[in-house]
Amino acid sequence: MRRILNLTNVLFLATLILELFPSKRDGINAWYYIGLVLLLEIFYILNVILKKDEEKTQTIGDVTAIVYGVLIIWEIFTTKTDLADKLLFPSPSSILSLLISELPELLKGTVSSFQLLLTGYILALALAIPLALVIGWRKRLYKAINPLTKVFGPIPPIVYIPYAIAILPTFKAASIFIIFIGAFWPVFINTLNGVFNVDRRIIDSAKALSVSEGSMLFQVILPATLPSIISGATIGLVMSFILLTAAEMIGATSGLGWYVKYFSDFADYPRVIVGIIFIGVVVTGVTFLFDKIERYLLRWRK
Amino acid sequence: MSKICLQNVSLKYQEQNSSFCAIKDISVSINEGEFVSIIGPSGCGKSTLLSLLTGLNFPTDGYILLDGKQIQGTGTERGVVFQHYSLFPWMSARKNLIFGLKQVYKSKGRKEIEEIADKYLDLVGLGDFKNKYPSQLSGGMQQRVAIARAFAMNPGILLMDEPFGAIDAKNRVILQELLLNLWDNGNERKTVILVTHDIDEAILLSDKIIVMSAGPGTIKKQINVEFKRPRDRTSLIRSEEYTNLRNKLVGLFYDDLIEKIGGDEVVL
Repeated sequence: MRRILNLTNVLFLATLILELFPSKRDGINAWYYIGLVLLLEIFYILNVILKKDEEKTQTIGDVTAIVYGVLIIWEIFTTKTDLADKLLFPSPSSILSLLISELPELLKGTVSSFQLLLTGYILALALAIPLALVIGWRKRLYKAINPLTKVFGPIPPIVYIPYAIAILPTFKAASIFIIFIGAFWPVFINTLNGVFNVDRRIIDSAKALSVSEGSMLFQVILPATLPSIISGATIGLVMSFILLTAAEMIGATSGLGWYVKYFSDFADYPRVIVGIIFIGVVVTGVTFLFDKIERYLLRWRK
Repeated sequence: MSKICLQNVSLKYQEQNSSFCAIKDISVSINEGEFVSIIGPSGCGKSTLLSLLTGLNFPTDGYILLDGKQIQGTGTERGVVFQHYSLFPWMSARKNLIFGLKQVYKSKGRKEIEEIADKYLDLVGLGDFKNKYPSQLSGGMQQRVAIARAFAMNPGILLMDEPFGAIDAKNRVILQELLLNLWDNGNERKTVILVTHDIDEAILLSDKIIVMSAGPGTIKKQINVEFKRPRDRTSLIRSEEYTNLRNKLVGLFYDDLIEKIGGDEVVL
């Protein structure tokens, strides 16, 4: 009985019971909202039935319960009592239906955003990693470059935006440049320090095998530095996202950052919220993928 | 001509205002196929001496000849097994062997190299573990892989820096036997130089034991171990000759220590 009547399920029932009360706002189609709640519950119950990992199921249940809680409060203050301002705080149902109808527009924006993001980010990785490997491996070069990274690394890349727009021909080029700068430094600095801190004994081992200079750099130093590179790449990715949306809000005519900025200029807050939620979903997806890649690349660690 | 010849080898580290003498005036000659152990208290420079033979460091005085030629750096004719990190943690056991073999046999094909790797992994009893990463293997298994790689690369000389130092007593015996079997398998014996702080290990394995003392690292004594091979561990340990040799080595080993602590007050 306790298994069935836990917090998650009680809150699930509460959300449904809440829907029996009349709506204070006009034109609300509650079915999107009820559909979402049902989907969440089905997902949770499937986890309870299929997952063997007790603790993980519990966590999923707790997260679902929090989502229900937020939805209930949101629904009470908007649809059910209309206490919150109608313009600034749309109801969950209207947001959901809008999210679905705006999906094509949002996906178009995602494609446009990812063109900028991936170009800048991959360019940063492709340049920062080999450069830092070579510099970190040469002690004298490292000592010369390291103080410079301490000056240029911490400059917040946002300050480059006006200058980048001034010197580069298109907005696209300027955004890519800014994203590049934002991702470059964390990857470069982390890789550099990673190379410098590779365990002496690993290097001695490689030397004892008489490996060539190229093998030393790319078959020994590179994998040994991989954990640092990946933590730099994670910070770089977060920076890229921040800079991408910042750049898009300034001068773009498409993309997710542009979408939010454009509709907030029209005080179309439901679309603003839809844009923010969608960005959250996209970022979560990318982080999830990144996590998988990291786990694969570092599978040799305990 | 001896295989390895050290003549008045010294290594001084220059620090800002002072210099530190790690090893001083060491002369030794080692014959081909000889199994030599270097023992001594910590800080006597035994590992430093091995790093000179590996070619990771260079003497500041004197010279080291290998087949009559001075050592210019590391080389694949010398295989090395360290106490830690002989293996690369991001490569499976098999990949570690393949990577080592590729450095020696630059012209051999992939298939041939893989066959050698598999053969040696089977020889050390790790055929079933060849695709495991070092972090998935026990310390003893990791050292087996390192030894397998060293033998697979077929160097004339094998340098080992406390290879069993971090292994528990029971597995250490197993690994010592494995090492002896690989070394004495009917083919031409490799010249082995083993740094250890385990006196029994030195006696059971070696033809010659070099005892070093610290501050600065010098050779205190060289002792030939005359027990005939193959040696039977259990009967050897019970023999009087063994006990005598062991006592002699313990005496040499702890001499310095007693002097340092203050002699009379310490009864061992």
